[in-house]
Amino acid sequence: MPEKRIVLKNCGVIDPRDINTYLGQDGFKALAKARTELTPEQVIAEIKGSGLRGRGGAGFPAGLKWELARNAPGTEKYVICNADEGEVGTFKDRYILGRDPFSLIEAMAIAGYAIGSQTGYIYLRAEYYYLLNLLQNAIAQAQEGGFLKGLVIEICEGAGFYVCGEETALMDSIEGRRGEVRFRPPFPPTQGLWGKPTIINNVETLINIPQIILNGAEWFNHIGTERSKGTKVFSISGDVERPGVYELVMGSPLRELVEELALARDVKLVQVGGAAGRVLPYQEIDTPLAFETVLGAGAVIVFNESRDVIDIVFRTMEFFAEECCGKCTPCRLGTEAMIEILAKFVQGSGSKEDLTVLEDTARMMQLTSLCGLGQTAPNAVVDTLQYFPDLYQARISKSEVP
Amino acid sequence: MITVQLNGSEVQGRPGMTILELAQENGIDIPTLCYRSELNPIGACRICSVEVEGARTLVASCHTPIAPGMAIHTHSPKVLQARKSIVELLLASHPDACLVCDKANLCELRKLAADLGVGLPRFRIRKRYYPLEDVSPYIVRDLTKCILCQRCVRACREIKKQDVFAIAYRGFDSKVVVDQDQPLDKEVCRDCDVCISFCPVGALTKREEALVPKKGIPLIMKG
Repeated sequence: MPEKRIVLKNCGVIDPRDINTYLGQDGFKALAKARTELTPEQVIAEIKGSGLRGRGGAGFPAGLKWELARNAPGTEKYVICNADEGEVGTFKDRYILGRDPFSLIEAMAIAGYAIGSQTGYIYLRAEYYYLLNLLQNAIAQAQEGGFLKGLVIEICEGAGFYVCGEETALMDSIEGRRGEVRFRPPFPPTQGLWGKPTIINNVETLINIPQIILNGAEWFNHIGTERSKGTKVFSISGDVERPGVYELVMGSPLRELVEELALARDVKLVQVGGAAGRVLPYQEIDTPLAFETVLGAGAVIVFNESRDVIDIVFRTMEFFAEECCGKCTPCRLGTEAMIEILAKFVQGSGSKEDLTVLEDTARMMQLTSLCGLGQTAPNAVVDTLQYFPDLYQARISKSEVP
Repeated sequence: MITVQLNGSEVQGRPGMTILELAQENGIDIPTLCYRSELNPIGACRICSVEVEGARTLVASCHTPIAPGMAIHTHSPKVLQARKSIVELLLASHPDACLVCDKANLCELRKLAADLGVGLPRFRIRKRYYPLEDVSPYIVRDLTKCILCQRCVRACREIKKQDVFAIAYRGFDSKVVVDQDQPLDKEVCRDCDVCISFCPVGALTKREEALVPKKGIPLIMKG
């Protein structure tokens, strides 16, 4: 399937500093259409009908989220754009924010209209501070143009913590507290920021909204696979010749992205979805990229034959131990136990019992961790144990009595 | 009333009730650590995880409300295995100082390990060693033993409305701190002892009880 530009339609076409270039590309027409021709319920019905699912990794249906927030009691509601793109190897949101901030603002205005919210927040990753001026300028221009009536959009800068990309920790951070995950239920659409109904959408999810409103749910529904509609923006890096941001129709095979677009050679394994994603060996390269199979937030990291698998897994686990918030036991201690054990395998002094412990701990973390970080942290371990068991066996200490 | 399946039998619960409360009402013992009925649940320790049919993961029973038609298993093999694994992790990062610990066989972590049949951990991980804090005239804090259940933090905040404690640092280095990680002294803390009674392990002790030689018969722990 070819590259198709829906999300990246305006990137490189418009000047992100000038709203007039955006208006020339049908900018803010979707917002006008939503406000004049559609009721908020119709907007939500349109999003639901399109089958749009969250692009941040979890894949929750966006329309359903909006409907829950719309129907939740209360007049004070919030729209949050999650621009805390922290996953290892993702840079798609940075690319979009820096080239098409107006689509995001338009989408947030539509979301505000649909759920009945007066306040929007863009939670910007701390490392993306250089985009702050650009976004503020875009918001100011949209305000001057009279497109934001009834909605105030504020930018909230993160403090540099991976977990704050998780929606409940993100809300804690906006509230000014330590970014720690909250348990669910209650879910944010009913009880979110300051206990009020809140929708939190990824940048890429929101950028799809104006297109869906303009072209209709039917149009969007025809792109992609049965349960994954539309396109997905991938950020590919690692051992490839042409790293960068590519937009593909949902269901495109991984091979197309890795070998045809990014020109990778001698691929050993591919990590799809960043550190928290799945690890696929080369023989799985024809896997279609969709929510049904593997997707995550769209980070694709390619490792060639020269890389050591266990070293990759060890460093992934070090990352999680560093970025764990420390609230729940499985994640706080599980990641720590795993780096201790994996370090032994890196040195070639593992034991059979270590493998059992690794499996037990991984399963326990996937089942009991409080948030997505802990639940997905052992993914790399689980997948490599499945696909490369020989490599682990080879690192079991020679001195161990069988 | 809500009807749910609890370990295979149909039981009735009130709306808003958590799985844990329902189990307790029906005489089923789900082990807990960070949960206390006097405090708001935070779902930190995950010991009380139970299996709900159809759910992707296990759910912590202390904060998950019951829903109509839920099929709950509180002691399935999957659940027990996960609980054991969590306790094993806690033991591995806990100092092996039970013989000289004031909590001895009142320690909830030891009780939990005995109940679940967890012995010596199969692996070693780092331990968090902190100097003993005995500046305060009321409380001796030995944070090396802390298991971060946050019960002291919540007891101080919710019962005494004092907010003396907070969590600082992140991940494995998380620590219950006072102010900007100052030793606890009498300036911020008055003699109320609430947090001490909430500590499940020997991290918080009364000044007059700590560091004094114990007399009498030694306490023996079964299991």
